[in-house]
Amino acid sequence: AAQDNPSVNWRMQALWDAGTTPYEYEKKFVERVAELTDGQFQIRLFAGGQLAPSAQAFEAVRAGAFQMMKTFDGYEAGSIPAFAFTSTVPFGFPEPDQYEAWFYEKGGLELAREAYAKAGLFYIAPTVYGQEPIHAKFPLESLDDLKGKKGRFVGLASTVMGEFGVATTGLPTAEVYQALEKGVIDLADRGDLTANLEAGLGEVAGYVIVPGFHQPTTATSYVANQNAYNQLPESYKAALEVAAREVSSSLRQHIMAQDAVALQKFEEQGVEVIHLDSSIIAEGRLTAMKAWEKAAGDDELANEVLDSQVAFMKELGLME
Amino acid sequence: MSSTLVLAMMFVGLLMLLLSGMPLAFVLTSLAVLFTITLWGVDALVLTVLQTFDAMTSDILLAIPLYVLMASVLQRSGIIEALYRAMELWFRRLPGGLAVGTIAICTVMAAMTGIVGAAVAAMGILALPSMLQRGYDQRLALGTICAGGTLGILIPPSIITIVYAATAQISVGKMFAAGIVPGLVLAGLYVAYIVIRAIIQPEKAPRQMDGEVNLREMFASLKSLILPTLIVISVLGSIYAGIATPTEAAAVGVVGALISAGFQRELKLTNLRAAAMDTLRVTTMIMWITIGAKIFVSIFTGTGGADSLLLFIEDLEVNRWLVLLAMMLVLVFLGLFLDEIGIILLCVPVFLPIIDAFGFDPLWFGVLFLITAQMAYITPPFGYTLFYIKGVLPDGIGMETVYRAIVPFLILQLIALTLFILFPDLVTWLPDQIAKPAHS
Amino acid sequence: MAVLLGYCRLITAVNRWLAGAVSVLVFVMVAVISYEVVARYFFDAPTVWAMELSTLLFGPYFLLAGPYLLHTAGHVNVDILHSRLPKRTASGLDCLTYGLIVVVSAVFIYQSLPVAMNAYNSGETSFTAWNPAIWPVKVLIPVAFFMLLLQALAESIEAARRALTGEVSV
Ligand code: NA
Ligand code: NA
Repeated sequence: AAQDNPSVNWRMQALWDAGTTPYEYEKKFVERVAELTDGQFQIRLFAGGQLAPSAQAFEAVRAGAFQMMKTFDGYEAGSIPAFAFTSTVPFGFPEPDQYEAWFYEKGGLELAREAYAKAGLFYIAPTVYGQEPIHAKFPLESLDDLKGKKGRFVGLASTVMGEFGVATTGLPTAEVYQALEKGVIDLADRGDLTANLEAGLGEVAGYVIVPGFHQPTTATSYVANQNAYNQLPESYKAALEVAAREVSSSLRQHIMAQDAVALQKFEEQGVEVIHLDSSIIAEGRLTAMKAWEKAAGDDELANEVLDSQVAFMKELGLME
Repeated sequence: MSSTLVLAMMFVGLLMLLLSGMPLAFVLTSLAVLFTITLWGVDALVLTVLQTFDAMTSDILLAIPLYVLMASVLQRSGIIEALYRAMELWFRRLPGGLAVGTIAICTVMAAMTGIVGAAVAAMGILALPSMLQRGYDQRLALGTICAGGTLGILIPPSIITIVYAATAQISVGKMFAAGIVPGLVLAGLYVAYIVIRAIIQPEKAPRQMDGEVNLREMFASLKSLILPTLIVISVLGSIYAGIATPTEAAAVGVVGALISAGFQRELKLTNLRAAAMDTLRVTTMIMWITIGAKIFVSIFTGTGGADSLLLFIEDLEVNRWLVLLAMMLVLVFLGLFLDEIGIILLCVPVFLPIIDAFGFDPLWFGVLFLITAQMAYITPPFGYTLFYIKGVLPDGIGMETVYRAIVPFLILQLIALTLFILFPDLVTWLPDQIAKPAHS
Repeated sequence: MAVLLGYCRLITAVNRWLAGAVSVLVFVMVAVISYEVVARYFFDAPTVWAMELSTLLFGPYFLLAGPYLLHTAGHVNVDILHSRLPKRTASGLDCLTYGLIVVVSAVFIYQSLPVAMNAYNSGETSFTAWNPAIWPVKVLIPVAFFMLLLQALAESIEAARRALTGEVSV
């Protein structure tokens, strides 16, 4: 039996700082993996940036510095264009369940695995959760209000917001608070509602806009070094997938519940919460699609991913 | 391998290699490479490259060359020398007047930048030549600049404060506000010390007492304040009016310095070239150390170097004040070989639940943490500020002088720390005042 | 011997030139950032490229100057023990520590080449609104460490010569 269940020790770097809610769920993930393997598969968890800078973790796992990571595919979209669509799509799937269904029911998982395989990495599974808000210094009621404003957005969202007339800058996360406070920018994305509440964004921006159409849904990824993964017994591989899928729904539900609490606290602070109608995401989607197509470029896999998502959106009635 | 052994080996290795006279940047990288191969695995060596790339693309540290260039242009165009001449006239009766003036300039600099390396290197370039030239004691001058240069950690904006706030999940604004009073108290302590020291040992801070100074000359000297003041206003003004981010404001400062040099008719190619080389030298020195430090921290963390220390704190079941003391000691000890951002990422998540459990205020603890970080920055034998300042020293002043220079200021910081522990209101009063609603 | 000293002089000259060349980049950064501030505040037209361009210049700026700084002893060290050693002993010790830098540089080159190649082969860009190529920055890492290796070798040779002959530098 010892032959079947060897003792395996991995290192894993999370995406978030220790002490944050998503990090607590990574703790649950490694605990669950251990539990499912009778304690034989131990993953030692490090916080985001503790071993490798978060945006560079990809190369570190590829080289085998540590065996797995939680990452945000967008970090590598500059070299693998398909990752633009497996992380977060501005004006994309409005419901996290829809996005997760694309992964599990519409071949998204296989496509993501194909994209990662090129880099010698194995994509285990996504963690999918809902919207992240926009913090603004002005009441943002419609997409027209974006024109001529200065905003902080990153990745594909910066291109898309540009299409709506926002002059975007990619300020570092650390400077968002001050830039809003002093009025260097008029609106910004940062993190989820709870994280932004704790960071004090309510003190510097009078309006919270939900849902953040720049990031209606997000998928972060459990990714392993292919060699290390190949050496695992089948039951350990299964444990990784099971634990990943459990964490995905439990974190999503937790964030959903916390969002309500955070919004209430924002309002108690005197911040005005603007709930945009869900039709607004549909309205902007056609404009955003131009940026999607540009991001896919002539990359074959990226186009395959994009086509598959668009096809599913049509099936869901999200697009004509 | 046990975590305690890793810790001991890293500490001893660092000391031995440092004593060999090897540059700090390469001491850190060599040790990291050695420990990666022996304790982790060859595969992890790639982290060295990834940390290098990360340092290369840091939009925050970009402020370093900008502030150093500003300082160097001002120094080479004689603007700073004129400022010190004016201070000499006006502070004639104040013992240690120039050092007091230097602390004042440091405090202003602290309000402009949150990067300690930038402030210390810039102040070294600005203030040191003028003070040494007037016969100030090397140690007094150096200590003043090192201690003054680290004020930027407490006085906003400050990168370390932002990192602490993010990790502790408290508002950046409140954390910034919490640092202001303690920062000014520290500056006040430094001034008091300098004045007392200069009264007891006047030879350490000579004053230009001989010769009649007429009022007209004194007021004429005030002209030298105009250009530096305008630069300060342009930098602070562009930050506080929302014209520029702190990094961008540094570039505004450089433009201001260049224009000022133009007014002095000192905007010459030779000056510019020399200033550019100064800037390159200092920035390169700091950034290669930063790369080494980043690599060292990630290897230290990955091999579990701090595990036993942190576990020890977690399991400590004693009086809350003893726990607080133990945490401070761990911070200072880790500060002997890690950089402060690394320490925050490592310790704050472990310490905060403990802080909460004992009913301490995380905001107040944050300020204690920042002061401890400040002390770690200047604690011999290994404090980053000490190395930065040595990088801008004239030939012939060695590390030993730097080490000795800093001791009295360390004691002052310890006094300040005790003060804030005894009177937490000094820390929490201001942030409580500005817990304001957002609509504006 | 003459060959070795010639090598030392050549490498130092190349690295000195490199440092001189990158030193002007700081003025470019100032100009680019100032342009951004003016464009954003006065014309409400921030660029998507200014901050990113200055960040991309920052890395090459200090990385390529590192090798020359080794020659000028600009990388700070602790001289407490070193300055008290007899001159020839100190030179012997230097020969070893520079040798260690050669080894560390080799490790960096070996580790950074695949990273640089991956970036180059995929034509890596930054995936921002501006989306410039960033592989050149990654390619510079092995280049800089190769120059550092050559310079450390030169310094090691120089130190060995001082240790053997007791002369000060040429
Ligand atoms: Na500051
Ligand atoms: Na220290």
